[in-house]
Amino acid sequence: MNLRWTHVVMWLAFVALMFAIPEFVSKGTLRTLIFANFLAIFAISWDVLSGRTGYISFGHPFLIGIGAYTSAILTKRFDVPIEFAIPAAVVMTMIGGIIVFLPALRIKGSYFALVTLAFMELMYQLVQVIRPDLTGGTRGMSGVQTLTRGAVNGYYLSVSLMLAVALSMWLLMRTQLGTALSAVGMNEESVRGSGLSTTKLKLFAFLTSAFVAGLGGAFYVHYLGSIAPRALFDINFLFTIIVAALIGGASTIIGPVIGAFFLTFLLEYLRPYLPGAERYFIYGLIALLLYMYEPKGLIALIDKGWQRLRGAADRKETV
Amino acid sequence: MQIIIQGLLLSGLYALIAMGFTLIFSVGRVLNLAYGAYLLIGGYVYFTISQTLGVPKLIGLLLAAVVGCLVGLLKYRLLVKPLKGDHVAVEISTLILAVVLQAGVVFLYGDSSKILLPIVPGVTQVAGASVTYNLLTATIASWAILIGLYFFVRKTHVGRAMQAVSMDTKGAAISGVDPDKINMFTWGLSGALGATAGVFFASYTQLSPSMWVAPLIISVAVVIVGGIGSIIGTLIVAHIVGFMEVLAVSVIAPELRGVFTMLLIIGVLVIRPQGLFGREEL
Repeated sequence: MNLRWTHVVMWLAFVALMFAIPEFVSKGTLRTLIFANFLAIFAISWDVLSGRTGYISFGHPFLIGIGAYTSAILTKRFDVPIEFAIPAAVVMTMIGGIIVFLPALRIKGSYFALVTLAFMELMYQLVQVIRPDLTGGTRGMSGVQTLTRGAVNGYYLSVSLMLAVALSMWLLMRTQLGTALSAVGMNEESVRGSGLSTTKLKLFAFLTSAFVAGLGGAFYVHYLGSIAPRALFDINFLFTIIVAALIGGASTIIGPVIGAFFLTFLLEYLRPYLPGAERYFIYGLIALLLYMYEPKGLIALIDKGWQRLRGAADRKETV
Repeated sequence: MQIIIQGLLLSGLYALIAMGFTLIFSVGRVLNLAYGAYLLIGGYVYFTISQTLGVPKLIGLLLAAVVGCLVGLLKYRLLVKPLKGDHVAVEISTLILAVVLQAGVVFLYGDSSKILLPIVPGVTQVAGASVTYNLLTATIASWAILIGLYFFVRKTHVGRAMQAVSMDTKGAAISGVDPDKINMFTWGLSGALGATAGVFFASYTQLSPSMWVAPLIISVAVVIVGGIGSIIGTLIVAHIVGFMEVLAVSVIAPELRGVFTMLLIIGVLVIRPQGLFGREEL
């Protein structure tokens, strides 16, 4: 693990910036920021699995849904205290992660993506039918216990969670394990050839991703206080998660965070000009163009711009 | 008896829906996740032309197919070709495109679903089961199109070139087939098929901006379970899926109609990833 002091400084600055934000912005903006924080957590979770190992998951709402539903059902129907419900939800999500992992033993690429999509649709349909007394059926559940009151507290909770997830994933990805995971994404055969068990590595990636997804899902439902199957197991939700990770820059940690904030604020800033449904049209179009123009994401664009600035500065010095 | 007839009719529709998806997957080797959007576009174009403007229905259907074809060509030119066969990138960008198109439809037509009047009105009784002429027309059209497609692929020069590209793109190129042209052709054909299927599908269910998801899942199921790109396999599996849905609805519960399809996809992919009928080429 090669940590440099610049990394420490940058992380400290980032944390300080995030914690200082409530002092400067309105409550409405804070609510947007809270959503961006949760989206960033989901995008990191997606990226740990799909951005690194190349196993594209189209079923991430499946994992998030397991986390959210488990915690909501436990607290609302069985009066389990929240402190126990959230860990239980995380464990359930990790079991869900193992279920998603099983097909990855045999298939990859497009086929794997399709299986995960099927998982999501399956979950969507099952949730409405099986035990509607528990899940609330088509209408979902409302009145789930919330953890915080008010936008400021909600912001601090979500931002702490997001930063904790981002920092721990960042540290994890700088270990040899993280390198090995990225290697799986580049060439699985050669990783196996180097004497590493790709099965174990993949299992690890799935479990980590599920852990983050479950944590995010459980906290999200306790922030919203309600849950509905149509909003959760939705292609649009999936689209937002994947695009946040990709637009920011896949297989980085800061990329998905940037992507999540970029997307959320893009949607928010389009609101005054385009109040209706056309907002999503423009928003999707911008996402598509950005992705086509730079598949490596915003972080690559920023990096290129920075390099060019530095290059210009260097040339001036030599002249 | 009711189940058999309902199953046959629904399966015919599903075969038509899945066909265009199979073609792209077989020739272009890419998953077109925006395939459902052809159905969306087809349905709404037909709605605008025939139901709102009152133009004869057949012209509406043809125009829907033409628009679908154009969208397919544009998609190939602007999206798939620049990405140069990067599968993950194509999948993700087509998924984004589908969401964009859905938003476009919401923008133009509003969020609420619309009822499409039956293309051929009327109901008849077949062996105690009531059958709408509408669905019957869809099934007959679907069979006609599938049989036509089968002979087109087997007998004509372009069809054989399509087969060649789906087997081995480089080999086809060496033999003097321009894979780019064949790909263009296939994308256009797939778009036209999808839009036509969309008109029938919309008249079977209803028009709504999110109507593209269910057919996409059905096509995915059919293609995966049937093995890539075999027309016969597509036909057989469309019947398996169709009958399973009808059985689930009438025997167990209407809410479960899609559950078995999902389980089938997952099961087949995990147990037999090459599909039930193997990798026959077209």
